[in-house]
Amino acid sequence: MKKFWVLLKVSVTSMLLSSSGMGRKSRKKAATGAGAMVLIAGLGLYLSGLYSSMLMEVLAPINMEVLVFIFMGMGALIGGLLFTTFGVKGVVFGGRDNDLLLSMPVSSTMLMVSRVTAIYLENLLFSLFVLGPAGVVCAIFTQGGVGHTLLFWVRLVIVVLALPLLDTALSVLLGALVAFLSTRMSKGILGQNIVMAIYMVAVFWVAANLNGMIEGLAANAAGVKDSLSWAAPLMWMGDGLMGDWGLLLAFAVCCIIPFVLVVFVLGKVYGRAVTAFAARAARSDYKLSAQSATGQKKALLVKEAKRFFGTPMYMWNSGIGLIMLLAGGVAALVMRDDLREIVALLEGEVPVLPLVALLMGVMLSMCAIAAPSISLEGKYLWILREAPLGESALLWIKVGFELLLTVPCTVVTGVCLAIALEMPVWQWAALLTSTILFAIGHGMFGMLMGLAFPKLDAVNETVVVKQSLAVFLAMFAPMVLMGLGGGLWLGLAESNQVLALTLPIVLFGLAAAVFALILVKRGPAMLRAL
Amino acid sequence: MLRIEHYSKTYPGGKRAVDDVSLHVRPGEIYGFIGHNGAGKTTTLRAVAGVMDFTEGTIVIDGYDVKKNPIAAKRVTAFLPDNPDLYEFMKGITYLNFIADLYDIPADQRTADIQKYGDAFELTGNLGSPIGSYSHGMRQKLALISAFIRRPRLLILDEPFVGLDPAASHLMKGYLEELCQKGSAVFFSTHVLEVAEKLCHQIAIIKDGRLVKCGATAELVGDSSLENVFLELEGE
Repeated sequence: MKKFWVLLKVSVTSMLLSSSGMGRKSRKKAATGAGAMVLIAGLGLYLSGLYSSMLMEVLAPINMEVLVFIFMGMGALIGGLLFTTFGVKGVVFGGRDNDLLLSMPVSSTMLMVSRVTAIYLENLLFSLFVLGPAGVVCAIFTQGGVGHTLLFWVRLVIVVLALPLLDTALSVLLGALVAFLSTRMSKGILGQNIVMAIYMVAVFWVAANLNGMIEGLAANAAGVKDSLSWAAPLMWMGDGLMGDWGLLLAFAVCCIIPFVLVVFVLGKVYGRAVTAFAARAARSDYKLSAQSATGQKKALLVKEAKRFFGTPMYMWNSGIGLIMLLAGGVAALVMRDDLREIVALLEGEVPVLPLVALLMGVMLSMCAIAAPSISLEGKYLWILREAPLGESALLWIKVGFELLLTVPCTVVTGVCLAIALEMPVWQWAALLTSTILFAIGHGMFGMLMGLAFPKLDAVNETVVVKQSLAVFLAMFAPMVLMGLGGGLWLGLAESNQVLALTLPIVLFGLAAAVFALILVKRGPAMLRAL
Repeated sequence: MLRIEHYSKTYPGGKRAVDDVSLHVRPGEIYGFIGHNGAGKTTTLRAVAGVMDFTEGTIVIDGYDVKKNPIAAKRVTAFLPDNPDLYEFMKGITYLNFIADLYDIPADQRTADIQKYGDAFELTGNLGSPIGSYSHGMRQKLALISAFIRRPRLLILDEPFVGLDPAASHLMKGYLEELCQKGSAVFFSTHVLEVAEKLCHQIAIIKDGRLVKCGATAELVGDSSLENVFLELEGE
């Protein structure tokens, strides 16, 4: 058992170090890291509390609190899956320390269990952040005193502990499928991308359907509950939380059995699975033909593109914002008549232009492409360091690659939305200027975060892309800037429309200029110091 | 070709890894750098290659100061670390072209050189496979080929014989000599004292960050062997 705890400690410490920056030499950086983690935790709790209270306000008066927990449970399950599935291939099967740990006198089953437990702990955190606030909200809003008893909290703790078991079992299975396909298909990367695409479509489909159900809640809560029979374990979870111990037990069994089965089966084949998933297709019949030359900058850009599109983990996590941005723009254009009807209904009540800019900004914030790029160099950084290149050139190529993806997508989406919403020319200009300036600033800010909080010794790309502090900050800090821009609009819109529109644009431009200045002045030295 | 003057390196925390090292590698020379583990060999080689920053001393390669004119210095240099990690998401041929592009090597020259060294190291057939599928030795060979196709004025190698099979080691020694005959120089670290004794024109021995002996191999070894000289110096 002692060995298990040691192995678990290694996995968890690695995750914590990369996510929080704790243990860094610089106290300032460690404090920033810890602060960012607190901020993210706070944001998660706030969002969960917000959604729970919105639902509870509607459902508590009709004694249907159970639906809040069913929906929040689904949220925790989907969110946890989204958060950990991509990580399983790296954390459970592809750790760079596999050779070292597998050569030690510990059973491969124990090693596997320790890594699956690390995934479970991640899911547990997610479950706690989503269901915890729902419980608090229930205690405040409930009419029937559901959340006021100690036993309710005991049942909530059981649910919080059990749900991540199901999440972990599902994400380990999906992660294993991705790893299997990547070795079995000749175009392994393509296979992984197809699986990820199907998975994303499924997640969005479920999310969209849930949204539809939530809209009709107040009118027909009982009917909505009945229509969720396909998610029986979550129904049992909800009813169990409300006091039915039998159903709570059924839910717990539904979570424990898949987890135990996955652990048991994987334990039997873990050694073989790790070996098989590590194997790469190789051939020895290459015939050299005339090679062509290209310039330094193009070579570096192509390398960035190969890494981005050739690493599904990187592409799907850092590119999801781009996909949603483009999909949103195209959908708006296709469904422009419906959209115009909605806008006509909201006329005067909701400022359309700032709202559209805000949504685009949120999508762009999720495109942390430059932020993990330095950490992804990791052990390969020596190649670029010994090459006849200036440090600034390297940094600007990485920023430039992000902008090559984000700026055209921003323009296309902006134009689609402007056409769909029949914006006048000045609004086109304002929308495109503000979002492009934001995208430019975001790219440079991401690069600075990558330099300030590098993770060059990460055991795999999962740790860098999903758990590094640089990526967290590159995603969430620009949202604060976006919020400031929105605040300026709201504060000034009634007194001076022109100023209300101009100041946020100036703010984004100023931020981009400041980030550019820091990158020029400090960037090369920061890179040299790594 | 390479002039190191009063080079020192102190790591954060105060550990002085290299202390006031000065040496000179002339064109056409193979210069061996030997010492025990942690003596400061890799720290010196990495500073020469421009991979690691340093604060004390000067390093000049082919007339270019590594600190003042790093890009020009790197353009005439090729460096191979002791455990070369190469981009696993690239194929062998993609990596060689990537390096060739960074060094602005013309298309016909790179094709000819890749063919020459790829065939010699029996790696041409594998160049279409991802580097992730290569063995340690194959990666070492690919890294060597990527160094040779640059036709460097100064080739810096850190423990180049580790991971190479005997045939590839023999081949590499031949190419090092060929490079020197064309006026370039080789500066490398090794623990294989027999090879250093036979291959190197000059040898420097470093101990605890300080140069304890350097000079022409024949003069340094005298009637003894490099192993004896090294062990005697280590014992002092």
